[in-house]
Amino acid sequence: MRIRNNLYNFVFILVGILWVSCPSNYSFADNFDQLRKNATNIKTIKARFVQKKSMKILIRPLISEGLFYYAAPDSFRWEYLKPLRSVVIAYKGDTKRYIASGGKMIEDKTGGVQAMKIVLNEIASWMSGKFDQNPSFTATLKEGAYTEITLTPVEKNMVGMIEKIIISLSKKEKAVKSVKIIESANAFTQIDFSDVQINKIISDKTFQDVE
Amino acid sequence: MKRISPLILITIFLASCQSLPVINAPAPPADGKISACPSPFLKERYRLIHAIETRMAGDTRGAIIGVTLADPATRLISCAIMTAEGMVLFEAGEDAGLLKVNRALPPFDSADFAQNMINDIKLIFFAPAGKIEQKGNLLGGVAVCRWREENGGWIDVLSNQPKGIEIKRYSSCGSLKRHVKFEKTDENIYQNIELHANELYSYSLFMKLIEAQPAKEELLINKAKEKKK
Repeated sequence: MRIRNNLYNFVFILVGILWVSCPSNYSFADNFDQLRKNATNIKTIKARFVQKKSMKILIRPLISEGLFYYAAPDSFRWEYLKPLRSVVIAYKGDTKRYIASGGKMIEDKTGGVQAMKIVLNEIASWMSGKFDQNPSFTATLKEGAYTEITLTPVEKNMVGMIEKIIISLSKKEKAVKSVKIIESANAFTQIDFSDVQINKIISDKTFQDVE
Repeated sequence: MKRISPLILITIFLASCQSLPVINAPAPPADGKISACPSPFLKERYRLIHAIETRMAGDTRGAIIGVTLADPATRLISCAIMTAEGMVLFEAGEDAGLLKVNRALPPFDSADFAQNMINDIKLIFFAPAGKIEQKGNLLGGVAVCRWREENGGWIDVLSNQPKGIEIKRYSSCGSLKRHVKFEKTDENIYQNIELHANELYSYSLFMKLIEAQPAKEELLINKAKEKKK
């Protein structure tokens, strides 16, 4: 159950980060209140991502690629296309994770549904753009060549899992540039986003049908 | 009842023991050359990344990414398990027989898990540490070499053509504990590996290679460190 909690925390944090970062497509956010206001304009998001996992055992990062879809208020699809295909979809309060097996996508039934409900409550605050009000993290915003938001876990139960999260927003393109999740001195996950599309029509099937 | 219980235990123990498959002496080769034992094992230090599907009782339970750094010369192993999302669930290593667990999230935090995993990795990638006891053919003609382990167990390495090479680990009393299958391929021998474990909670791993590369650069780094010392 704990591993399920940790996994869903991890996925939802990734999803939440992208969501709260995308308002920069509308107007440059110079404070958290502005980010929250901009968040109300977002109806859908679609983006590609490249994830680079670095850790001591890997001499070069392990690269994964995938797609992210979001539709307000609470539907999303976080899909890894390679090297290991997996999909997390959330639709109308129901969240499921699927993995590839024998050429088919099958539901990952490890763990319990209860864990997902707990995490959904957690993610609700991210989805509404209130990422500086989440008691689990302290958030700071720094202006420079890029806008940088740093999230630091407050609770000790995240020690070893997440040390801090750094979100970089591009001023020029007005889109999320990258997210870096630092787990420890030797391990971090860098996610670079591209082709970010805001408020384009996304079919409901995207959040219901895993294939 | 107290007198019956040990009898039941002994009966179960004896029932779980089986005789090892009989190895017949090989037929003299036509060309006069003695055939070598099948060797699916690493020849040099390597880093391998696999997508691993886990199954218990025939049901798929999950999919993870496994990273293995293994040196057959020193029998040093480092390994990690992570999710597709990049979350590291388990990280451990064994050097000179000493196991060190750096990270273990539930359910990978049990006392036996780390050692069993290291043992499974050694079974797949390293030549058995014991000595060859027998060499020949099984009933049906499959070529096999049998090693005796220090703990009394047995390891058979079979050239089960045309399917591919297989490894079977037996307990000291002959019950099959592990069965590893390397799918025959023109690509890397570690492209598709199956491991079936017969335990109280039996499991199977289906491993598909993502990446394999010699890890020579780390040897150089380690040598440089040794020189500094």
